[in-house]
Amino acid sequence: MDKRSQNDEDVKALFEKFVNSEQAEQIEEDFLKAEQILRSCPAPGPDNEVTAGIKSQIAWALLDRKESASKRKALKAVAVAAAFIVIAALSVKLLEKQSQPQEIIYASIIPRAIWESEDIVSDDINLATLTAEIEQIKDEMLALQLGDYADNGSGAVEEIEMEFIEINSDFWKG
Amino acid sequence: MAKSEDLTRIITGCKKGNAECFSQLVDIYSRRCYGYFYRLTGRREISDDLLSELFVKLVEKIGSYKGGSFESWLFKIASNIFHDYLRSKQRYKKLLEVQKKQLESEVTEPKHREDDRADKLQKELGKLDADTRELIMLRFYSQLSFKEIAEMRSEPIGTTLSKLHRGVKRLRELME
Repeated sequence: MDKRSQNDEDVKALFEKFVNSEQAEQIEEDFLKAEQILRSCPAPGPDNEVTAGIKSQIAWALLDRKESASKRKALKAVAVAAAFIVIAALSVKLLEKQSQPQEIIYASIIPRAIWESEDIVSDDINLATLTAEIEQIKDEMLALQLGDYADNGSGAVEEIEMEFIEINSDFWKG
Repeated sequence: MAKSEDLTRIITGCKKGNAECFSQLVDIYSRRCYGYFYRLTGRREISDDLLSELFVKLVEKIGSYKGGSFESWLFKIASNIFHDYLRSKQRYKKLLEVQKKQLESEVTEPKHREDDRADKLQKELGKLDADTRELIMLRFYSQLSFKEIAEMRSEPIGTTLSKLHRGVKRLRELME
């Protein structure tokens, strides 16, 4: 008789750790005999229909698994997107806080009182003089156009030109 | 039995969700697992159901197999499925007892089919206690080493050896 079990284990050697050699040999004999009995009375196997049914069940289970895996992936993607949006929103808020524009104080080179004043004469005498002279020229031009000047107006034009030159030089001189 | 490399390839395929690889696993292990269930339950229809449950469970759990003895892993699941069945059977029995009391009528479990009872070994196995019977079947059908069986049952190897020896000795006596 083959003294090794179907599992290729040395049963005697294993039992010798617990009992004496003679007893271990008897135990080994019992094991081998039991294996022989079990082999001589084989259990029935599954019907072909059963194994075919199992294979079909497995195919369905795999399909289910794939579907739920893709659902899980979609949910994961949604969760990641949501997390990204939240992080982005928080980052923007944080950046906004950090880079809030500093209050810029604008100052005009013209004193505020003058800028807001409508009394030009008192603010700038030169400007007032210029305005008055422009008004005067405007009146003289109007008189020329209406023929108020008897001598064909040539003298008046010269006079106006002279006035213009004078005003110009005065203005730039300040 | 499949060669180690073949089995590794098949398991890798199963982990990737390859139906053909699962089909190969069914071809390799269905007979042994069926034998295990049949010898423990003595009923073909129950063994059919438990075998189906085992392989469907395998689809769910294959990702958790991290190497080592595949047989040990597979039969651990088979053993758990058998224990779940026993628990549900106990619940069923309790329910029957309640109904029996309520209706004051005799309720008996379905009788075994004639062909299921014809097996002498099956009858004699019924004379062993459930734990010993399971241990012997685990050893014979899973072909696991004593050490692996002890680890699977979370008990010292001496305990496993002792229980197994008592069982096989009794079985030998009953069958001779």
